[in-house]
This record gives sequence, structure tokens and C-alpha cells, in this order.
Amino acid sequence: MRGLVEKILREMLIPTLLFALGLYTVMAILTFVLPQLQGGIGSILEQLPFVKTFIGALLGTEIGDDISAQMFQAFLFVHPVVLLTTWGHAVTFCTRVPAGEIDRGTIDVLLAWPLSRGKIYAVESVMCLATGLFVLATGWLGHLTTVGGMPDDMRPSGIGVIWVYLNFFALYIAVAGLAFLASSISNRRGRAVGAVVAFIVASFLLNFVAPFWGPARSVDFLALLTYYRPAEVLANVEFPLRNIAVLLGVGLTAWAAGFGVLSRRSIATA
Amino acid sequence: MSVIATEGLTKRYGTRRGIEDVALHVSEGSLFGFLGPNGAGKSTTIRILLGFMQASEGRATVLGHDCWRESAVLKREVGYVPGDVRLYSWMTGRIALRISGRIRGRDLTQRGGELAERFGLDLSVRADRMSRGMRQKLGLLLALAHEPRLAVLDEPTSGLDPLMQDELADVLREFAARGHTVFFSSHTLSEVEQLCDRVAIVRDGRIVADESIADLRARARRTVVLHFDTPEHAAKTAAPPELVHVERTGRLWRAQLETDDPRAFARWVAAQPVADFSLSPPNLEGVFREYYRADDDGGAT
Repeated sequence: MRGLVEKILREMLIPTLLFALGLYTVMAILTFVLPQLQGGIGSILEQLPFVKTFIGALLGTEIGDDISAQMFQAFLFVHPVVLLTTWGHAVTFCTRVPAGEIDRGTIDVLLAWPLSRGKIYAVESVMCLATGLFVLATGWLGHLTTVGGMPDDMRPSGIGVIWVYLNFFALYIAVAGLAFLASSISNRRGRAVGAVVAFIVASFLLNFVAPFWGPARSVDFLALLTYYRPAEVLANVEFPLRNIAVLLGVGLTAWAAGFGVLSRRSIATA
Repeated sequence: MSVIATEGLTKRYGTRRGIEDVALHVSEGSLFGFLGPNGAGKSTTIRILLGFMQASEGRATVLGHDCWRESAVLKREVGYVPGDVRLYSWMTGRIALRISGRIRGRDLTQRGGELAERFGLDLSVRADRMSRGMRQKLGLLLALAHEPRLAVLDEPTSGLDPLMQDELADVLREFAARGHTVFFSSHTLSEVEQLCDRVAIVRDGRIVADESIADLRARARRTVVLHFDTPEHAAKTAAPPELVHVERTGRLWRAQLETDDPRAFARWVAAQPVADFSLSPPNLEGVFREYYRADDDGGAT
């Protein structure tokens, strides 16, 4: 197993460090900049009402005429760059095997080693979770780096942030599970990435339009972001058990389906 | 004991044929050639043997293990070189041997180093800077360094220069002399003829012959080329019964001589309006060509 771990690290160490560095930087900057924006946000919302809709959709909650300090902090965790960075890591990692390896022909080397497909899948999954956790933790570190400069009344509660991070990690697992499934089905990495990105974009748009379009509201339970509500968690300081359970359910189901497909399919290099 | 045993092995890709009813028995310590033209089904058979693909029908075992269900176990004692060796871009020979050694639970540096020296491979070069021949050598290194009981080599000489092909043949002969088995897939007759002691010929997904090279040699024919005086003579002359597969082009006849004693044929030639002729020593090419020949009249001979 050490050999397989070394192979994975050789492929994913640098990308993981880059994703982590990116998330660290974005979180540190957002934590520092957001309090300074809060003062002027009221007048922006007055002049540009659609911005309120946009922020409300991102946060997944109705916002009044003014955004509370806590709600403003929740924006940190739903900022598109933050979401794209973490999902980017999940999709990059999870579409390498088998789709990426079949695509470039290296699957023959991997499958020639005395490793069962189950073992390959399991080690890839554990490494994906470990590196994903590292990327998210680095983002948290970025938040902690600059949170000291934030006014006391704006600082989110420590336990609230932990719950949000657990919810965020569950979201990461759901995306990773879907990426593993797409990769297991496909012979082309581009197609696997495209399928997951299409699902994420559709999910994002559905979640975005649901608050102000009835037909979308009736199916918004299908959108992954419906189960990621940092604003509510920070406001209520309540463990989002149901949302985490749904996201883990999606992730584990997709992951198990991916394993089922991989263990049964015939593999030939393209 | 059969190192490789298959019965009724069939693989279909939807309506497209892969292989059909393949039966193979490869005994321990043999150098077994698996010969066939491109697209005949050689790689499909190999991919089933290694558990990359599941057969549609039939059964296959390698070293007594079921190829699909116990693929991870059997690969502990199998080395494999794919038809087109593609490696991880970051991989050097040294890293490849280390990772492979860790996965296989043994140190491969010494044996890998010896093979690298014989193949003239620099172990410090990254795969993305390697020529095709270098990648092929590294593929061979990964397949042979752990001294597997069975080496499955899918067209292993592609990309190797003639000297390196000879070196590989020597390595494989020594490997087999130590009791290991080589399953050598190729579409080139000469390398199978030189190296292997037994050969199975696959065509259109089916095994059309499975014989020892010695038996095939006993049936080998001579190639005959006749130059007649004129095209008219070439067209009018009737071929004797021992001359088969006669191809007539203008003044020229090219054919196979199906007899152990060419003297009677030489007397027949002397009585014909022939300006020149040549008669080769017995060779396997004719036998193989017969198996390869397009199936115009319904089946292999």
C-alpha cells in the first residue's frame, strides 16, 4: 500500500498544496475585507436590489433590508471562489482513477500490479478525504489568520464555524463521491469532469433560482447546495445534522455505485 | 501443470467480435508464442488473462487462479508488458522500481539494475523525456524485475532496435531456462520462430493452430519462383500437383513446394520453357501464411 500512496502523492501533492494555498489566501482576504464592506452594503443593496437576491440565494436564506454581521460572515463560506477551489480539488483528485488513467493509457501499469480494484479504490478514497480535509483545514487557517482584526460583534462563534466546516466537508464528500462515480463509468477524464461540473453548475443554478421561481422551488431538494446553509448554522449555532446526513448519503451512495461499476467493468485502454 | 489454461474463452463487444472459443494450455517453463495479425484478438485474450476484462463466456485460469475473480492474487507472480507502454510522466526507472517493489513487497533495485544495464536504460530519466524504445525497456524492467513465474509480453519488441531485440531474446531464454514461463504475443513470425518452442496462431478471434515449432518446421514448405521465357508460356503451363498456392504474374510464378524431396520437381522444371528459377530452403513462412491467408473459401487449412 505504501507504493500506491507514494504514487498518489506524486500525482496530487503539488495540486493539493496549490489548492490549499489558494483557499488559505482567499479565506484570509475575505475574512479581512468583508467587515470593511459591511458599512457600505446597505446603500449598495438600495441601489442594486438584485445584489440582495444574489447574496440571499448564495446564503440560502431570506435577507432583510440590511445584512446582519453574522450573515455577512456566512458569505465567507459560500463565496464562489471558496466553493470552486474545494470542488476543484475534489474533481481533480477523483477523476484521475480510472478515467484519467484509461485516457492516457497508464491504467495498464496500475492494473499490472498485484492490487485489487477494491484496494485501489479504497486507497484513492482515503487519500482524497485526507487531502480534502487538509485543503479545508488550510482554508480555516486562513480565516483564523485574519479573524483577529475583526470587530468582536462580527466574529462568528467558534462552535458555529466548526459546524459550518463539518457541513462544508460533507459537501466536499458528496462532490467527491459523484466525481468517483463519473470517473468509474467513463473512459475519458474530460467527460467525467464535464459530467460532474455540469451537475454542480445545475445544482448551483437550481439553488440560485429556487427562491424566486416556483417550479425550481419544487425540485430544489435535488440541489446539493440546498443542504449547505452556513448562514442558518451561524445564526442558530445548531448542528446541521439533517443536511450533513443528506450530503453524506449522496456521497456514500455515489461512492458505492462507483465502486460497483469499477469492480465489474472491463477495462481496455482507448 | 498448465500455467495458462483457457476453455471456450469468448469476448464480444456488443455485436462486434473480440475472441471466440479460445482454448489455450501453456505449460510451465515454456516459451509460448501467440501469433496473429493486428486485430486478431491477441491483446483481448491477454487482457482477459490478466483480469482487466471479463470474458463473455468460457473460463480462464493463470497459475491455477481464476483470471477475473483472483486477478490481484495471480498478478503477484505475473509480469506484464502492454502492447503500447505508456508510463506516468513523473516516473523514472528508479522511482518505478521503488514503487513496484513496495507494492510487490520486495526490493527490486538489484535485479532491476542488472536488467537496466543489459537493456542500456538510464534509470534517472523521467518518462516524459523518454523515447518509445526507452519506455519499452522500462516496461520490460517492470515486468521482469520481480522474477515472475509467468511473463506476459504483448508485442514486447516494438520500439526496440535489432540489437536490443536480440538482447531481449537472450534475457527471455535465460528466464525460461530458470523454469519461468514466457507468453510472447507478436505479429512477427521471425521473432516467434527464433524464440519460442510452441506457438498458437490466432486469426479473426479464433485459435487456428496450436503446435510446437518443431512440428511446424516438419511441415514447412519451400518457396519456388519460376521465370518463364514468355508470359504466354507462363499462362499455358499446368502446375504439377506438388506445387501449391501458385501466384502467376506475367512471366513469373511464385508458389509453395509441398514435398520433402525436391528432385522430381527439379526434373519437371528442366522440361519447361523456364529462363530461371529459385528454390528456397524449407521455411515456416508458408505455413504461417496459410493460417493467415484471407478466408476466401470458408476456413483455415
